[in-house]
Amino acid sequence: MDRFDAIVVGAGPAGCASALVMAKAGLKVLVFERGKYVGAKNMWGGAFFGPQINYLFPNFWEEAPVERLVTRHVISFLTGKGSVSVDFKSTDFGIPPYNGFILLRAKFDLWMAKQVEKAGAILATGLKVDDLLVEGEKVKGVKIGKEEFHSDVVILAEGANSLLTQKAGLRKEFSSEDIKQGVKEVIQLSRKTIEERFNLKGNEGVAMEFVGLCTRGLPGGGFLYTNKESLSLGVVAQLSDLIKNRVKTLDLLEEFKTHPEIGKLIEGGQTVEYSAHLIPVAGLGMIPRLYRDGLLVTGDAGALLLGTGLILEGANFAIASGMAAAETVKMAKEREDFSQRTLSHYQQILKESFVLQDLETFKKAPKFLKNARIYHLYPELIVEMAEKIFRNNGEPRKGTFRMVREVLKGRISIWQLFSDVMKARKAI
Amino acid sequence: MKVEEKLALNKFDVDKEVHITVNEEGCRDCELKPCLYACPADCFVLREDHITFSYEGCLECGSCQIACAKGAISWTYPRGGFGVCYQYG
Amino acid sequence: MEIIVCIKQILDPDLPPAKFMVDKERNKVIPPEGIPFVINPYDALAVEAALKIKDEKGGKITVITIGDKSTEDIVRKALAMGADEGLIISDTIFEESDSFAVGYILAQGIKKIGRYDLILCGRQAADWDNGVVGSVVAEYLGIPIVTRAKDVKVVNGRVNVERVTTDGFETFELELPALITVSSELGQARLPSGWGIIKAASKEIPIWSGKEIETDISKVGKKASRNQLMRLIIPSYERRCEFITGEDLHEISAKLTSKLMERRIHE
Repeated sequence: MDRFDAIVVGAGPAGCASALVMAKAGLKVLVFERGKYVGAKNMWGGAFFGPQINYLFPNFWEEAPVERLVTRHVISFLTGKGSVSVDFKSTDFGIPPYNGFILLRAKFDLWMAKQVEKAGAILATGLKVDDLLVEGEKVKGVKIGKEEFHSDVVILAEGANSLLTQKAGLRKEFSSEDIKQGVKEVIQLSRKTIEERFNLKGNEGVAMEFVGLCTRGLPGGGFLYTNKESLSLGVVAQLSDLIKNRVKTLDLLEEFKTHPEIGKLIEGGQTVEYSAHLIPVAGLGMIPRLYRDGLLVTGDAGALLLGTGLILEGANFAIASGMAAAETVKMAKEREDFSQRTLSHYQQILKESFVLQDLETFKKAPKFLKNARIYHLYPELIVEMAEKIFRNNGEPRKGTFRMVREVLKGRISIWQLFSDVMKARKAI
Repeated sequence: MKVEEKLALNKFDVDKEVHITVNEEGCRDCELKPCLYACPADCFVLREDHITFSYEGCLECGSCQIACAKGAISWTYPRGGFGVCYQYG
Repeated sequence: MEIIVCIKQILDPDLPPAKFMVDKERNKVIPPEGIPFVINPYDALAVEAALKIKDEKGGKITVITIGDKSTEDIVRKALAMGADEGLIISDTIFEESDSFAVGYILAQGIKKIGRYDLILCGRQAADWDNGVVGSVVAEYLGIPIVTRAKDVKVVNGRVNVERVTTDGFETFELELPALITVSSELGQARLPSGWGIIKAASKEIPIWSGKEIETDISKVGKKASRNQLMRLIIPSYERRCEFITGEDLHEISAKLTSKLMERRIHE
């Protein structure tokens, strides 16, 4: 009773995944969650992509609180004058095991944690871990107030604002350049209205991303996900840009809601929740050391997430890293060796999986995504171009390429454009 | 929609213990006042020339501490079980 | 010292008004999905009062509640605070029981437990605020009761109680066994410790059925209900703000006074 094989800090996707795998292997696992209940502190945009949840809970969609499946992706360039969108609908994405799931974090994590408890882990909610117990170089457990809890290994799954990871000396202080802030409203609408408005049937759902005016041209973007009976609408922007330009995400979201394109989609809806969260976005460069003697770092705490502009994924990285941590602990338990030499196996598993490989493939994305032209100039050029192509004012038409030249003239040089395209090729 | 109206929708179990403290000495000679733009819940308000801060509507994102270049904000999560409680997330 | 504490699961009283909904047709509160129920705060104080006695004198604390398996969470909360045993009384025949029936069910449960020196309840539940159950339990058990305690102490085999009144408090000394209901003036309930939560997580909590506590069916459920809920509504609050201006304080206060007088006359 007095000692655990593993202590997991945080019952989000990473923490639940690692606790589940370890508990199923018969290890004595204790999970601490600082929320009053699991999910109370958890917030995200809205969609999960990939097979990882299915690895943990086969056919989970049959009983878990899944809002909708992602069967339609929309990417829109938004300006004050109009928008140009790519609208992708997939019939395959609506067939099991499905490609994407729209989830509400608080509801889904509560469900996951129940499964973790059923697997035999002890879940202790309403408890914030204050510190790690360190003896010499080794992490020996955690501290809450004056209480001590001992274990062979501690898995940090504390989320983006990873204070314990920092205390453990594994990461530097964050810079506002490396952090984005996301804010979101959950807006209630009837199921019928959502399905009519977004052209959806049954459990189909849409994931929408917006670039341009929604951040006043600052790096970042807007998002909208259709839940069962609500919409998740939000804005993401870089902290340093907010400060430099004296802008608040709060105001960006209000403006976004009143944009004619968005206004139509949320009309008649009632906001029922407002939330905010950090996103570590500097890619490979900001990943802390992921292990030391008796300690592993997973999920957002390890900055293990991917943003390429087209792809925004984190929860699948969290689950994959949580599972990798659990496998590592299982191995360490067999050897009865929790030194960093054995735990370095964790890094190895991540390197062999999509987690670190994707981050390597897209390692140039974070820098590329700081290019302000993507959010300001290009959406305008694209919308103007569309306007020119489709406008009929009774005059003789010009050739498409001449129109392109006219739109670009004085705004951006061909060389600049070419250079951005080449950078994009390498980055995303 | 005003921020107070938005925050009134959320469930908060406000702790009597304060989890963020602001050293106003550090704020006085701060020209940029990044905290005003970093906080998504408008917990920092500029009154005449000084910053006032309230932690009750804090969404616990941690932005303010990262934004503050003066190191005037000391930040920790609220005690276990307290603070914002999302229903949807 | 055998102490029994009666606890109730309620909707989280810290819910913002926006999350509070009623089903008008069925006259029922719709609990917000995903937000767990909590232990009635007055009952948490009753647990606290029991723990204070135990801290000083030793003894055993049993918490008892009525409801389905989901009430386990609040029983575990009391165990995590330091109670020794938990017990749930659960049966479909109890559905829609009123406060009198609930008092009867608890009394039957307590009779089955058998040994007790002191029974503690919250002064009322923070959902319906009836404040009836404690008295009914005492009546069925035929033991003395003091309500609204701000202090409960066991001295020389008797219990000393300070009872809150509108203009102070009164002191009682009772023979044991007795039942005391606890008021918010008692102070604050302790937060569970980490080890408390861990130990409570794996504790067995027995569930007793109506039959096991020898329920007289005519005394429980909707049919036995002595009161009937006519209408459930969410009151609407309207707030207005008006700034009263004037040359000086004298004028402003005069204007304010006449405004207040006006409202008195009208409402």
